Amino acid sequence: MGVLRAEPARLRRWATSSVGFAWRAFDLQLTVYAVLLAAIGLAMAYSNSAAAGGSALEGGSTFSRGVVWAAIAVVVFGLASIFDYKWLKTFAWPLYFVNLGLLGLSLVIGSGVGGSSRWVSVLGFQFQFSELAKILMIVVLANYLASRQARLGSLMTILGACLLVGPAWVLVMLQPDLGTSLVLLAILAGMLFLSGASLRWLTVLGVTVVALIPIAWTHVLRDYQRQRLISFLDPAADPMGSGYQLLQSQIAVGSGGWMGKGLTNGTQNQLDFLPVQATDFVFAILAEELGFIGAMVVLGLFLALLWRIMVGAWRSRDPFGGLVASGMASMIVFQLFVNIGMVIGIMPITGIPLPFVTHGGASLVSLAAGLGILQSVNVRQVRAEW
Amino acid sequence: MSALLDERPMPERRPARFLAFGLVTILAVSTLTARLFYMQVSQGQHFAQVSERQRVVAQAIPSSRGVIYDRNGTPLVTNVPSFSVKIRPSDLPFSQRDQVVARLAGLLGIDTTTINMAIDGNPGSRFDLVRIAQDVPEPSARLIAEEHLDLPGVEVVVEARREYADGPLLSQILGYTGPVDAEELRQLRSQGYLPDDLLGKTGVEAVYEQQLRGVYGEENVERDATGRKIQVLSTVRPAQAGDSLVLTIDTREQKLAQQALEWGMSASRFKQGVMIVMNPQTGEILAMVSQPTYDDNLFSRGISQADYDKLVKDPNQPLINHAISSQYPPGSTFKLITGTGGLADKKITPTTRIRTAGYLSIGPFRYYDWNHRGFGTINIFDGFGNSSDTFFYQVAAMLGIDRLAYWAHQFGLGAPTGVDLPGEAEGIIPSNQWKQDTFGQPIYAGEVYQAGIGQGYDEVTPLQLLNAYCALANGGHLYQPQVVREVVGPDGNVVRAFQPELIRDLPLSPDVLTTMREAARRVVTIHHTFNLVDLPIVVAGKTGTAEFGLPDKNGHLSFHNWFVAFVPKNGDVSKPDSELAVIAFAYNAQTVGNPATEMVKYYLQLHFGIKKDYRLFFLMRPA
Repeated sequence: MGVLRAEPARLRRWATSSVGFAWRAFDLQLTVYAVLLAAIGLAMAYSNSAAAGGSALEGGSTFSRGVVWAAIAVVVFGLASIFDYKWLKTFAWPLYFVNLGLLGLSLVIGSGVGGSSRWVSVLGFQFQFSELAKILMIVVLANYLASRQARLGSLMTILGACLLVGPAWVLVMLQPDLGTSLVLLAILAGMLFLSGASLRWLTVLGVTVVALIPIAWTHVLRDYQRQRLISFLDPAADPMGSGYQLLQSQIAVGSGGWMGKGLTNGTQNQLDFLPVQATDFVFAILAEELGFIGAMVVLGLFLALLWRIMVGAWRSRDPFGGLVASGMASMIVFQLFVNIGMVIGIMPITGIPLPFVTHGGASLVSLAAGLGILQSVNVRQVRAEW
Repeated sequence: MSALLDERPMPERRPARFLAFGLVTILAVSTLTARLFYMQVSQGQHFAQVSERQRVVAQAIPSSRGVIYDRNGTPLVTNVPSFSVKIRPSDLPFSQRDQVVARLAGLLGIDTTTINMAIDGNPGSRFDLVRIAQDVPEPSARLIAEEHLDLPGVEVVVEARREYADGPLLSQILGYTGPVDAEELRQLRSQGYLPDDLLGKTGVEAVYEQQLRGVYGEENVERDATGRKIQVLSTVRPAQAGDSLVLTIDTREQKLAQQALEWGMSASRFKQGVMIVMNPQTGEILAMVSQPTYDDNLFSRGISQADYDKLVKDPNQPLINHAISSQYPPGSTFKLITGTGGLADKKITPTTRIRTAGYLSIGPFRYYDWNHRGFGTINIFDGFGNSSDTFFYQVAAMLGIDRLAYWAHQFGLGAPTGVDLPGEAEGIIPSNQWKQDTFGQPIYAGEVYQAGIGQGYDEVTPLQLLNAYCALANGGHLYQPQVVREVVGPDGNVVRAFQPELIRDLPLSPDVLTTMREAARRVVTIHHTFNLVDLPIVVAGKTGTAEFGLPDKNGHLSFHNWFVAFVPKNGDVSKPDSELAVIAFAYNAQTVGNPATEMVKYYLQLHFGIKKDYRLFFLMRPA
């Protein structure tokens, strides 16, 4: 009887505990760090809109578009968190082909600067499918590696992963988008490494890739890409040409000092000395207006965010979830280092956005989707199995 | 509780790899931090300076150019704000140049060649502004300013433009301002001239450029990456306005002189003429008209190629001030020199009588008098009064070419007068040395005859000739003619007051000039100038008709007409007190009779308000 009476109570207890556990397992910190980074990105977009003259709140300004994208990102994040990530395993292969399809579509109808084809207009918004491709690639790779837990040490697993990434990588290179193609490689390397793939074969593969660089330099890279890579080594060689961006970027960062010139007071930004302030070079403006302190806050938020992602990866009982987290972490670390490195002159210009902060809808929404999947993983690690 | 936990086994974890990943992450972030610290904190000062340097530029503040008044204080030129369109070539990408130039041409209504020539003829560097169009109408200026995103490198600026109140009436004297050219810029850059500067190109605008311009100031300006001025941060040095000029010119006299000259040109159908009015006591030029003229506003507004070509191709050279920049044979007006020289060198006295004839012979050559019957035996008064050529052939022969040249030079002929206008011609006064230097030959006796009556090699400018007669009228003082009376500072203080500039006192006895003034009066009283004597004022002067060029098919030469006159103050020519001297010159007159005399007569009628009209229209019949 007691058992019978206890039945509803158990159910009730289960229900409350379940939601409670789910809430407890939901990584609030991770979410807060990401939201703060995105908010800093919006603040920079606001500053940039002020630079362009007119009200930042006007429709069509960098800032107002940023707000719309942020709202979309929040919705996507929520949906992805609620959505049971396990279904992704089922859909992994369809997603893979959707991914290739979207990249192929970009090539056909995309537009971009200097004859490239990166952006596709969706409902009046420009969308860069290669951003989404990174997240889809993480999911597909995670599924593949999770399914080969027993054979992680074999060369075939590594080659299989490479084969999976290969077609997407080629499509991205055709756009051409050197930055995204490098991110794909970073994701591949990071996930293989963290999944526990054979270190020996990874090393062999890495050496092979390095050996192939001279061939890629002459046959794969285009003139402007080579030019950008060269000018990074010596920006003063052509200060009004390809080196201009780098010099202006370094002037912006350096002149920020300890405290910065204050939001919307950056002269490099407001007077347009630095091109593409809102996108790839947003960190230069951030460093100029918010100073070394502001830059440290951003780096600190990134470290905290990465810590939470890795904690998620460590805790995940499902190898798939852990691998998704590894992929996200690899992607964010790589983009963080290459983007800021480029801004401060220690990495070549490759057109890689700074996650969350760079103004760009596709990047933000894709990251939100990725983090949403991570939350979905987090939450579902503690749920009682029936 | 445990029932609620995931009871699946933990997957195989690899702490070493997580640790390695974490280390790589920390290494990456540390690298970034170190580099940021180096740039922002260690090198922060340096970069802040670099940023400041490219943000703040020193920029000139143009000064307000001085204005110009006539002697009565009437403004002759004012500064009006107008829109100019300029291009900074460094900000105009080469790939877009054709497109931008075509669009600008459409908006400005000028052709692309003009714009391209302006860009390519840029006197400064690629980073300096080039003026494309001046005085752009406001609607076009606004349109161009609004389209600045589609017109990279194009700027619309407000500049002060010179507006000349009377246009063609005073163009020859005032001149105009225009854009500095490469050669001028090379010389003036050190004086603070800018590559897109305006400066006086001719006339008093050019001669008094330094006074009119003032001193440009300097300010620190914040600019954006495209060079657009955002705001003024500080003024280093304010601009100092230029000085203003008060001319000796009397606009009323100028208009009367122009009216007289234009009447003569239409009555006698000639295309080029000069009229100058001076005060012999001071050298002040009261009026100076050179026809044909042009509108200096065309230049200050930025002249079109078509308008410019028209002016340059006109055979009568409207851009040349014929009063000072063209030289013509003086003809009989030169007899003042021959007569004065003869008297001063004591070759003749006022009572010496010389036999005149229809012609004089030297070997096989005959030198005719204009009157082929001669005038009998006459003295200097009748010789000058009748303008007897054979009389002055003989006086010239007595003097010899070098003494003749000496006296011509004493009267200021054959040398620039030093008037404060640009482009003065020198003239030609032949001498033995000159003939030897120029032709490698000695001078011939016949040439001395010709020189004695202002023919042959002699050439003078109208201003030189008038100035010589001014010296006659004032008793022997050769003054430097002046067109600017005073220079007045921006605060109204007189910076430079008027002062007659004496070139020299003629080395002769006053009696000689009294004789010559009476001889000049004789020209009028014996009706050599027909009814001029009937005017209710006393006028003395000398006519001149000079043949020039090559004979036409009937053996006739073209000729110029001169009349140079002065009005004694109280009607007594023996007194050197004249304050009014006038010269009229008609280039290639198409009628018999002397239109120059008629023009001077007409001017005097207008000047003195004489109601009765003494002009002799019947004389103006075709030659």
